[in-house]
Amino acid sequence: MTHAIDADPGRRRFVNWFLGTSVGAFLAAVLYPVSRYLVPPEVGESTAGTVTLPLKPDDVKPNTGQIFKFGSRPGIIVRTASGELRAFSAVCTHLNCTVQYRADVSHIWCACHNGHYDLNGKNVEGPPPRPLDSFVVNVRGTQIVVSKGA
Amino acid sequence: MTSSLIVLAVAGILALWPSPAGAQPPADNCATCHLAIGDERLEKPAKDYPQDVHRAKGFGCVACHGGNEKEAGMEAMDPAKGYIGKPDRKQVVQVCARCHGDAAFMKRYNPSLRVDQAVEYATSVHGRKLREANDPKVAVCVSCHPAHSIRPPSDPTSSVHPLRVAETCGACHASATYMEGRRLPTDQLAKYRESVHGKAMTVNGDLSAPTCNDCHGNHGASPPGVSWVGNVCGQCHTVMVDLFGKSVHAKAFAEMGTPGCATCHDNHAIRQPSDAMLGLGGDAVCTTCHAAADSGGKTAVEMRGLIDALAARTEKARVVLDQAEHAGMEVSQAQFDLNGARDALIKARAAVHAFRVDAVKREVEPGLAISDKAHGRGVRALDELRFRRKGLGVSLVIILAVIAGLCMKIRQVDRRQASDADHHE
Repeated sequence: MTHAIDADPGRRRFVNWFLGTSVGAFLAAVLYPVSRYLVPPEVGESTAGTVTLPLKPDDVKPNTGQIFKFGSRPGIIVRTASGELRAFSAVCTHLNCTVQYRADVSHIWCACHNGHYDLNGKNVEGPPPRPLDSFVVNVRGTQIVVSKGA
Repeated sequence: MTSSLIVLAVAGILALWPSPAGAQPPADNCATCHLAIGDERLEKPAKDYPQDVHRAKGFGCVACHGGNEKEAGMEAMDPAKGYIGKPDRKQVVQVCARCHGDAAFMKRYNPSLRVDQAVEYATSVHGRKLREANDPKVAVCVSCHPAHSIRPPSDPTSSVHPLRVAETCGACHASATYMEGRRLPTDQLAKYRESVHGKAMTVNGDLSAPTCNDCHGNHGASPPGVSWVGNVCGQCHTVMVDLFGKSVHAKAFAEMGTPGCATCHDNHAIRQPSDAMLGLGGDAVCTTCHAAADSGGKTAVEMRGLIDALAARTEKARVVLDQAEHAGMEVSQAQFDLNGARDALIKARAAVHAFRVDAVKREVEPGLAISDKAHGRGVRALDELRFRRKGLGVSLVIILAVIAGLCMKIRQVDRRQASDADHHE
């Protein structure tokens, strides 16, 4: 038996080399993700492009609006008096306050500096310099799915 | 002058000369002669006018200058036929107002256009000086709407497009030579360009940002006036103006004869407001009237302290949450909630215009609660991260120790087998 091993040193070297490189590959495969975990990237994770709201379509009554969480930023979903659902970023384009819905004037309104937006998200009064970013609303059964436009 | 008239007459005869193949003569004989006359001063109106909005609507030269454009030669310019030539400065307003002051007429061309420009102009400083002193330098219609190349305000090449209004007014008001002998400064344009409004307009391209006419009026241009400057700023800054109107400063400023908003924010050189403007520090505007010992100074310092506290604690929470997020922890709810603290900070800055500590405190306190809660969640997320890292470290040490032990064991077994083999031999 021993004689047989000694007679084939080439195969033994190959097995040792193979095992050695396997251990190296194993260590690299373990240590690389660990190092990436310990030294995180500079930039934050990308924000979601689509969100399913914790609301049913019937929860949003005509001439009302509700704030929802889109990543870490607020969005607002509005149902117009005619029953259409529309969604926008709820971040005021003036100084980034969170806007809200005002049923008395059927406007999206920023309380910080009295900025008004119509139900197309267009800035119509006060200091906001540009319209709210609009989102795409899809109703899938009892779910409302809001996504950023293309 | 004589040679010009001769050229004009010749050009008129040429215009009457039958054209080949029985083609009709051009309808506008004014342009035909003016373009052939060889005098740049007389040619320019004919060259410019095809791009004028009035030409596009079908109006010819005679709409303003009178006469008869169908006739060739000097007969077209017969005063008996209503020809007035180049209107003098006072006439310009009347000529324009003939159509622009007639609602029924204007409705046929542009129903949404106002028809009170001449009435407004009569109330302006320009209009009053023209009427009362026949001032030769004050602006009339054509000073801002250049005759023969008038374009609607929506046209970016128009002299009254929002991006160009300041330059148009500045053509006179920024010229020290032109304004010589008047009590007005000539640095308004330079100050406006550096102001927050000027930057919003020209750098950010925000056409809703105010330019000269938004505060001074356009046809009724005049200084806003001390007693109602708040009404001017309040067109956009409604919250601040409402708070200011109910504050102690509204009455005090009126009694002192100082303008409301502009007392602290300036008029043309309006800076981006900052917290440094509040309190008794180096950049604080309160120090103009207040000192540390008086109640106004104490109020200012207290309001500044509240705002600084909220700003610092909101920023502290943001830094911790960003750190946790970048490390891969899920803190989006806390970040979402922190928007409430930012809102509170902005509302508190607006509440400063009430000049009362309680008004600022009412906005700051909820913001402090939100930012502290968000900070706590960020700290807990980082603690959790540290715990996970320590756990990972310990696990790795154990795994590596086991691997090392296995390797040593394998080598030991190999050596023992080799030694046993030697003994057998």
